[in-house]
Amino acid sequence: MSFWADIGAIFRALMSRDSFEIQSALESDAAWVVGILAAAISGLIVMFIYRKVPVIERQLERSVMVYSYLAIALIIFWGVIDRFVFNDQEPWSTTIPPLLFMVMAWFGASYNVRLRTHLSFSEFRSSMPRAGQLACLILDAVLWFIFAVIVIVTTTRLVALSASNFQIVLGTDNIMQWWFLLAAPLAFFLMVGRVFQNLADDLQNWKTGEPLIKQAVIGAD
Amino acid sequence: MTDGTWVTLISLGVTFLFMLGVPVLLVIGYWVIGCSFVLGLTLDNMGAELLNVFNKGFALLAMPLFILTGDLINKSGIARRLSDFAYACLGWIRGGLAMASLGACGLFAAISGSNSATTATIGSMLHPEMIKGGYDERFSAATAAAGGTVGIIIPPSIIFIVYGFLMNLPISELFVAGILPGALMVIGMQLACWVICRINGWGYLIPLQLNRVLKTAFGAWLGFFAIGLVLWGIYTGKFSPTEAAGVTVGFCVIAGLVSYPINRIMGARNDIPPTEKSFAEMFVVEGFTIPEIPSIVIRSAQITGILAPLIAISVVMQQILSLLGAQETIGNFVTSMGGYHAVLFTSMVIVFFSGMVLESLPVTIILAPILAPIAASVGIDPIHFSVIFLMGASIGFITPPYGLNLYVASGVTGVPYFRLLRYTVPYLAALLSVWILVSLVPDLALILLPKN
Repeated sequence: MSFWADIGAIFRALMSRDSFEIQSALESDAAWVVGILAAAISGLIVMFIYRKVPVIERQLERSVMVYSYLAIALIIFWGVIDRFVFNDQEPWSTTIPPLLFMVMAWFGASYNVRLRTHLSFSEFRSSMPRAGQLACLILDAVLWFIFAVIVIVTTTRLVALSASNFQIVLGTDNIMQWWFLLAAPLAFFLMVGRVFQNLADDLQNWKTGEPLIKQAVIGAD
Repeated sequence: MTDGTWVTLISLGVTFLFMLGVPVLLVIGYWVIGCSFVLGLTLDNMGAELLNVFNKGFALLAMPLFILTGDLINKSGIARRLSDFAYACLGWIRGGLAMASLGACGLFAAISGSNSATTATIGSMLHPEMIKGGYDERFSAATAAAGGTVGIIIPPSIIFIVYGFLMNLPISELFVAGILPGALMVIGMQLACWVICRINGWGYLIPLQLNRVLKTAFGAWLGFFAIGLVLWGIYTGKFSPTEAAGVTVGFCVIAGLVSYPINRIMGARNDIPPTEKSFAEMFVVEGFTIPEIPSIVIRSAQITGILAPLIAISVVMQQILSLLGAQETIGNFVTSMGGYHAVLFTSMVIVFFSGMVLESLPVTIILAPILAPIAASVGIDPIHFSVIFLMGASIGFITPPYGLNLYVASGVTGVPYFRLLRYTVPYLAALLSVWILVSLVPDLALILLPKN
């Protein structure tokens, strides 16, 4: 019974939107069950949205990546100019860019799942028979999913911890760290959507007889 | 079963996954997860580290920025000008175009910090011309792959940034220490290239004209300025490596945006070879417009999205390895080899073989914290050792089975991976000779360092 009670506690805490409640509720092992369900359901929703609204599918991760990238460059560039020309430097110019880098890195990880450009050694796989190739692709999907669930649960705990401790970004007065940290679990929810999308494509290719494994080129347009 | 047996089983299991073609990020990730269970560690530790690696690392930020500089100088046309200059200087020698593309790799590497960007840019730019110039297509692709290795030795370099970040060494000094060894790598490979081309009679010769050299050098001034900016800033300590990266990105963006309208107004023709252009036409590069910027950035962002998560997960793996006592085991093994040179060469062998199967970043993150203290204990200078270590890791880019540059070169040139391998052997020999030379002569790495 206590297991169900723990699950109930997590939902109640999420409803209350109180970071301290959420943090203590997530400490139980029930968080893993909720994590699996949440990842699976949101993954399906993300996949559905991507299918219905191709603009989001194409632009969401790309925009987050590109604009955090440019923001990092701009903040650091301006920091140097500020120091040399105006003898001044914003205190947050060295603390916000690393957080943006983190946001970019995990959204980028999700984007690369879709492109299948994460570094891998695919020489053996490509010379396998079709059934073997499909098995490898399904294995990939399962491994990505489990990994994503683990990261979602552990980083959500961290976000709640950060929020309940009122961690503020150094060098600012009122910018909370958890606003940035939240990007990590979000990126992994999107990643699950990408994993499902890939899996659907693979099964489709299997049925129609299309080649299952295509050479992906890093940085191709 | 003992912990040791479990860890061995897990390691074998993930190696099997790697062979099946599971992404390296997951392979290392599952090793971490498995070992966390064996050690009774909570997985929360992994989650926390995946975020902290970035949040605590202002120094690490130089990495994405120096990747971006590569794409910016490529798109703006500065990279093209640098390679035109290299060709004008070397085209009169047998195999000049191939040697020029190695030289262009060196110049490109002095602005960009990424090896795969170097291979991809120079490969896609010069491969078609090398084919036209009568070179074997496999040799041409191998040249791009091998040339890319200097991308991470000639400063700026993302791997020196990661190494300095992890080992608490001044990144600016690491950069300076990489200059001579990087230049030697280029010269060594050019020598190998010259020998091969002479034997096979590849390439057409162009006469050496002072006018052409001067004109292309003038055309590449923006590139030289960027190189000077990076080196000056780091050498004098005016800004940190991260700031140098930010400034270089800023410079490249401004140079690209300003060049575009000027180039238009002056009516420069972009599709003719540099010999037919006037000096005025060479003044600025083609440049780009503001709406084009996102499409330039997305390429770099994609590469960062591959490498940054890999860095994060490798850091967690290193922590678990140190909990498992790998430091002691490997340390005892390496020190049992004997003194200075024995430790040095054992470390080099370990790095070389790890580089064959792993990407350079995991090799560095996992092995450097283990090997560097041992090297220091037998009296090897930490900066000298870092250069030796990273040269070894960079050679791993063109060693099979897992050589990232070979994949990139194969991707941009269309030459199949396995057909490329044989043609990298001469380059490999050259790189190994330079590597051993640098390991025996510490001054090659240390002489340029500013004296205290």
